Amino acid sequence: MPPPDPVPAETDVAVIGGGVVGLFAALFLQRAGRSVAVLERAAIWSDASGANAGTIAVQNKRHEVVPLTRLAIRLWPTLKAEYGIDTAYSRPGGLRVAASETGVARLRRDAEKQAGAGLEIEWLEGNRLRDCAPWLGPSVRAATLCPEDGQASPLVTGIALSAALRQRGVALCTHAGVHQIARNGAQFVLDTPRGPLRAGAILIAAGVWSADVAALLGARLPLAVDVNMLSATEPAPALLDRVVTHADGVLSLKQYGNGTCLIGGGWQGQGDVSTGTRALDYENLLHNMRAAVSVVPGLAQVQLLRSWAGFEAVAPDSLPLFGCLPGLGEAYIVAGARGAYSQGPALGAEVARLMLAGETELDLTAFAPGRFAA
Amino acid sequence: MIGTNHSAATDGADADIAIVGAGPAGLACAAEAAALGLSSVLLDDNPRPGGQYLRHPAFATAPEDPLGADARRLASLLAVTALPQVSYRPGATVWDLPAPGVLAVAEGERSGRVRAHAIVLATGAYDRPAPFPGWTLPGVISAGAAQNLLKGMRILPGRRVVVAGNGPLLMLVAANLLACGVEVVAIAEAAPVSPRLWRALPLLLSQSDLLMQAARWRYAFWRAGVPFLQSWTIAHATGADRVDGAVLCPLNPDGTRDGARARSFACDSIIVGYGLLASVELLRLAKAALHWEPQRGGFVPVRDAAFRTTVPGVWAVGDGAGIGGARLAEAEGRIAAHAIATTRCHRGDQRRLSDLCARWGRIDQFRRGLEQLFAAPLPPHGPVGDETVICRCEEVTAGMLAAARDGGAESAVQVKAATRLGMGRCQGRNCLPSLSAMVAREQDASPGEVAWPMPRPPARMIPIGALLVESLPPPNLPADPHLPRKRAG
Ligand SMILES: Cc1cc2nc3c(=O)[nH]c(=O)nc-3n(C[C@H](O)[C@H](O)[C@H](O)COP(=O)(O)OP(=O)(O)OC[C@H]3O[C@@H](n4cnc5c(N)ncnc54)[C@H](O)[C@@H]3O)c2cc1C
Ligand SMILES: Cc1cc2nc3c(=O)[nH]c(=O)nc-3n(C[C@H](O)[C@H](O)[C@H](O)COP(=O)(O)OP(=O)(O)OC[C@H]3O[C@@H](n4cnc5c(N)ncnc54)[C@H](O)[C@@H]3O)c2cc1C
Repeated sequence: MPPPDPVPAETDVAVIGGGVVGLFAALFLQRAGRSVAVLERAAIWSDASGANAGTIAVQNKRHEVVPLTRLAIRLWPTLKAEYGIDTAYSRPGGLRVAASETGVARLRRDAEKQAGAGLEIEWLEGNRLRDCAPWLGPSVRAATLCPEDGQASPLVTGIALSAALRQRGVALCTHAGVHQIARNGAQFVLDTPRGPLRAGAILIAAGVWSADVAALLGARLPLAVDVNMLSATEPAPALLDRVVTHADGVLSLKQYGNGTCLIGGGWQGQGDVSTGTRALDYENLLHNMRAAVSVVPGLAQVQLLRSWAGFEAVAPDSLPLFGCLPGLGEAYIVAGARGAYSQGPALGAEVARLMLAGETELDLTAFAPGRFAA
Repeated sequence: MIGTNHSAATDGADADIAIVGAGPAGLACAAEAAALGLSSVLLDDNPRPGGQYLRHPAFATAPEDPLGADARRLASLLAVTALPQVSYRPGATVWDLPAPGVLAVAEGERSGRVRAHAIVLATGAYDRPAPFPGWTLPGVISAGAAQNLLKGMRILPGRRVVVAGNGPLLMLVAANLLACGVEVVAIAEAAPVSPRLWRALPLLLSQSDLLMQAARWRYAFWRAGVPFLQSWTIAHATGADRVDGAVLCPLNPDGTRDGARARSFACDSIIVGYGLLASVELLRLAKAALHWEPQRGGFVPVRDAAFRTTVPGVWAVGDGAGIGGARLAEAEGRIAAHAIATTRCHRGDQRRLSDLCARWGRIDQFRRGLEQLFAAPLPPHGPVGDETVICRCEEVTAGMLAAARDGGAESAVQVKAATRLGMGRCQGRNCLPSLSAMVAREQDASPGEVAWPMPRPPARMIPIGALLVESLPPPNLPADPHLPRKRAG
């Protein structure tokens, strides 16, 4: 086993947090020629990015983040060829289903907006719906099909992304949680248990702890924390061939090539960030399974192998906190986007552009962290 | 209350005690509880009561049952399931402890939560996985499985067998095979012939019948001319698509194989039994403190004298709390029932309790004697070979584990994520112990110091259909699915 990367004395950019946001940012910053060190409190990819459902969907996102998500969907399939990063990405297309009147209404509203934004969205009900997805249960009244929706494997991605970064000389410093940040002129001095680091710029990508890290610089940011549950089944016979999401936001469902189904949907577990505990909530877990079986009845016969809960940071308006921390020099933050796994490569690429050139490809000014300034 | 069909439990509980596991430990606990006037729910995932030891009523005992007459007394425990104070529920898998005093149960149309004032985990044990090259070949059978085949179905695992492993269960299986007319080609016992016999003897005398039985076995091996190789282990199994031979070799003092002195034996099956591991999945989920006692089944719960774990209201008894055999399991189940009676309603019979404790003490002395006698290095005894499969469910080889370590996986947790080891149907029961032993060896540490991946419910896999039956209040659906669902921070 190779020893963990030492914390360098100095670097151009210090990325705080080794999840999907921090690592993709590190990739694009390094490619632009910057020296980058990722400071990670625990192990790389050990929090939300390693525990999530791997849905890479656009039609279940808020309208405001559709362009950002589509940028990510352009990037995901290029990672293998461009950077040698295997993600097990595939794009089987997604079905967003509705089972109630309000759900159907929401689906219709969203579909119109999405079509207006240039997304390819197909409305399905009745026989067309059953023909497209004979495995759906009778409770499903309508669905929209979006060919851009897909999935990747968080396990595969994390390993490949870390390996690619190491190979490119990015220091991945584990067990190096940042507990103090001082400013020394234009430079930042970050304290970790494995030694201090001087950096010309910093990026806070610490997931649900991002507000805590920002607080080290005196910045106050609101971040709510969801405790999402997720369940994995045994390798099952082929049950579904699309990525499924739900108009009520109560289900995410997919089946991987080996037969494993992942069942999520934002059902809340127990625990909180302050204690670090994340546990299942028995009744919500049952509700989650019921939502899944009512949409794909074939799941009732499948064995459940494991369920877990993980933290997801969400800004109060569920839009990303993206950009410069006002008045703090070269300090940036990317956190709080709902479903940030989907958007990971785009958030990384765009924040790298912002840090390097002061501008982004998309107009992301609405996501500036300053919007919450009192 | 005694003898009535009424539960002593009140305030919404299903019973005073919920017992998980209907082996000797769980049955004895239910019996003693009933005698004390306490009601119990006895949950077991098998269709029949009896656990590993008593499950086969048609052949209640094997030809060479070490427990002899005692086996019949233990078998009488099966009648407990018919007591009015005992609600015996076969085919019920306990998959989590979602709240204090609550068990989550998958049981077909009866699936749901069981509530009780005290929980007794009597979950038993399973064969310790011991990978070596060829261990996944057809014809390699674990000692426990061989014993179950013999006892349950009178099926012989082969005609010419090699027996390799460590501990008393191994000897029992070998003696049974011999008694059934199987040719036992050789026995490799990892424990050395030791002067410890003389130290262990006084302890062993506490159960003289079992000691005599062991002496008779050794005599039978000697008479049949079976080589009994002590401080030997299995190096590998040979054969293309089935076992056709075993290579045995001596163990060095440091616990590695001495390949230079290996010997080959032709055989058509190999019985492997390097001891048992306690089934502690539910204890892990309950966050009970565990400690490392390799000879008692790996990680076992920290318990007080009445077998309380560190989790309030949760007791652990029998092999699932530390391997000790059926007699010890029975005594522990009974003692726990008394402890619970005392906490519940100040009942309890002090004389009976002190008799039970004295009996437990004698059996435990014997257990300690056996442990001294069979103390041996844990497998794997040296490299297992890159091609050897460690995780059968996900087909992960030792080579893939090594590659993950070279690739930067720092811990057992990360190796699991990198290789999918332990993510299959057995949920890691049959491979995580090997991984932790391998990581420990690399780090020159005890497997007790290697952190395990976080346990995740269900404790055993369950059909999703089992989660559909319990009636629940309607869920709180998010008004706007995008917004934060848990308002905090
Ligand atoms: C169960 C579940 C299912 C989900 N499903 C999906 C899905 O299907 N699709 C999707 O798009 N999104 C999904 N999400 C959301 C998604 O996982 C997250 O939005 C995303 O992974 C966040 O990435 P991150 O890099 O911001 O944070 P993280 O992956 O949490 O990384 C932050 C890192 O920062 C480290 N850190 C914290 N404090 C410090 C410090 N002081 N110093 C150094 N390091 C520190 C942490 O240890 C952590 O490793 C899901 C989330 C959960 C919990
Ligand atoms: C395969 C095997 C064969 C053995 N053969 C012999 C033998 O022939 N002679 C001998 O003297 N000793 C034998 N032993 C040892 C002996 O069985 C034990 O010492 C004795 O049975 C211990 O009793 P117990 O009650 O602690 O556990 P067990 O008898 O193992 O009973 C535990 C019970 O709990 C159930 N259980 C576990 N977890 C759950 C859960 N989550 N939900 C529901 N139910 C659960 C199990 O399925 C099992 O029925 C054998 C052991 C094994 C593993």
